[in-house]
Amino acid sequence: MNIITHWIKLAFRNILKSRRRTFVTLMAVGFGFASIALFQGYIHSIYEGLRASAIHGSGIGHLTLYARGWEAHGKSDPEAYMITGPDMEKIMALARENPHVVLASPRLSISGLVSNGKTSTIFIATGVVPEHEKKVKGDFYHYQTVIGSPLNSGDEAAVEMAEGLAGQLELSPGQDGVVMGATLSGQMNAMDIHINGTYNTGIADTNDKFIKVPFRFAQAFYDTPKADSIVLLLDHWQNTDLVKTELSGLFAANHIDVEFKTWKELSLFYKNVRNMFDMIFLFIFVIVFIIVIMSTTNTMGMAVIERTREIGTLRALGLKRRSISFLFAAEGGLLGLGGCLFGLCLHTLVWAVIRYARPSYTPPGNSSPVPLLVDFLPQSLAVLIIFMTGLALFSAILPARRAACQNVVQSLTHV
Amino acid sequence: MKLIELQRITKHYHLGQTPMTALKDITLSFDKGEFTAVWGPSGSGKTTLLNLIGTIDEPSSGKVLINGEDVSKMSDNQKSEYRNKKIGFIFQNFNLIPVLNALENVMLPLQIRNEKTRPAKKKAMDRLSQVGLEHLALNRPDMMSGGQRQRVAIARALVTDPEVVIADEPTANLDLATSIAIMEIMQKLNQSEGATFLFSTHDQRLLDRMNRLVRLEDGCMADMACN
Repeated sequence: MNIITHWIKLAFRNILKSRRRTFVTLMAVGFGFASIALFQGYIHSIYEGLRASAIHGSGIGHLTLYARGWEAHGKSDPEAYMITGPDMEKIMALARENPHVVLASPRLSISGLVSNGKTSTIFIATGVVPEHEKKVKGDFYHYQTVIGSPLNSGDEAAVEMAEGLAGQLELSPGQDGVVMGATLSGQMNAMDIHINGTYNTGIADTNDKFIKVPFRFAQAFYDTPKADSIVLLLDHWQNTDLVKTELSGLFAANHIDVEFKTWKELSLFYKNVRNMFDMIFLFIFVIVFIIVIMSTTNTMGMAVIERTREIGTLRALGLKRRSISFLFAAEGGLLGLGGCLFGLCLHTLVWAVIRYARPSYTPPGNSSPVPLLVDFLPQSLAVLIIFMTGLALFSAILPARRAACQNVVQSLTHV
Repeated sequence: MKLIELQRITKHYHLGQTPMTALKDITLSFDKGEFTAVWGPSGSGKTTLLNLIGTIDEPSSGKVLINGEDVSKMSDNQKSEYRNKKIGFIFQNFNLIPVLNALENVMLPLQIRNEKTRPAKKKAMDRLSQVGLEHLALNRPDMMSGGQRQRVAIARALVTDPEVVIADEPTANLDLATSIAIMEIMQKLNQSEGATFLFSTHDQRLLDRMNRLVRLEDGCMADMACN
């Protein structure tokens, strides 16, 4: 321990000796660290946002249950692959027995034409249980504000219409319209709707098509007592796979043949965005990785050349090769650690500025701006510090080995 | 048993593409406590001879025995340990570590052998006192004169109580008065410590202070026939 402390002290002094070169290396490592950490914090907030948006914002919950075969055949023969009324009650009752299940809510999606009496256009609607919506939406209930009033179970014809669609039809809260479409048996059906409120879906592609209707209204529109799915809301997203496994066993034991889809499987947008950001992160990481390796190797390579005679002296005094390697590797590690600490300060400063300034931007495909958020991730920062310090140490090993293997006599006569 | 024995030592090396012979068939021995100068003109092989004795170089042929032990049979780590324990080096250019102060430079060989800081500091301070530099213990080399640096180097060479002190042209970068002062310090330490001192020099003014002179010319002992 005594000798390690001594060599680290010596390494530290050597770093301070070449101030300009040390400064340049610290900058390279520091800026690299800060850029990785900030991007990591940014994509973490994006992932969190997208996850919450998928689970709560678009209301798919953590787990969605379908009758087996729905995915493959549900489009061509929906009635045969829907969940019947008795099964629906049984499934929800069994699901609620699981301590992680906060809510089980049936869904029925409908589509057809919506009209204001003069013009009509296509719509896609989801039938939801109005009193479950606040729970499913969570924080999004307040974030996705409804102009007018939200759904209520007392008025089955009261709907929420997406702003874009309402704009096309020149409908506003308080006005009425008509929805038309075929029932599951193929009969034409038309029902009056009352626009209780309008809301922004946040996505341009859905903002001109979506309507949210009470579950009973959707059942009446399709003239069926069935649901196409049951959404389960859990206490935490990390319990998704656990609950899926537990409920699969439970339902199988009760002869209920359903298939599960997790929020991740259903949210294609989340998957695509995550894949894209993971790729960008990898790209940035590789660039920083190369910069750290090259700058540390260059700095340590120069140090070895400059201190060749010193290496010869240390060897003549009896220092072993591995100790010479350790000395230079320690210098590389200290440079990496110093750079990381500088990068941490830089990261924290930028993070604080972003929190204070609260900038926002409108991503492609979005109908409203979103805040630019960077999460502060202590655990990830600690891992990054360890990794980049290790990387700098590793980068110094090659020059350190070169230093250690030098001929003592040649080193002593080096000019 | 002789302290150091060189048996038919030859050393070849390459200067660029040109093969050179630094030492030719040298057989020589040194006793404990000698104060010996290896002298001769530049390029005569003095430094090569001392490097071989100091185990930082290897002969092309022949054997170097120290205390009867064949140095060529030692591994690199063993040689390092051997140098640290038995040999002290004094270099022409002092070769002090610039980021360490005088005391830390003197402590260095003790710390290489992982001696605890407190006793190492005490030993180093004692050696600095012997060379009259205790008041400069905390000064770094760049704040000292050439003579002072060389005295620090002497203290560093002696701090491990070595059997042999090898000094390669220790006064070459010093003026005459400082050179004589440095030689006197080493002479005194040789007498008080009993360590063997081997010098290389081409400064004839210092030779009358030596107990023994070994003269080299073109890699050969000057008083012996050379092939």
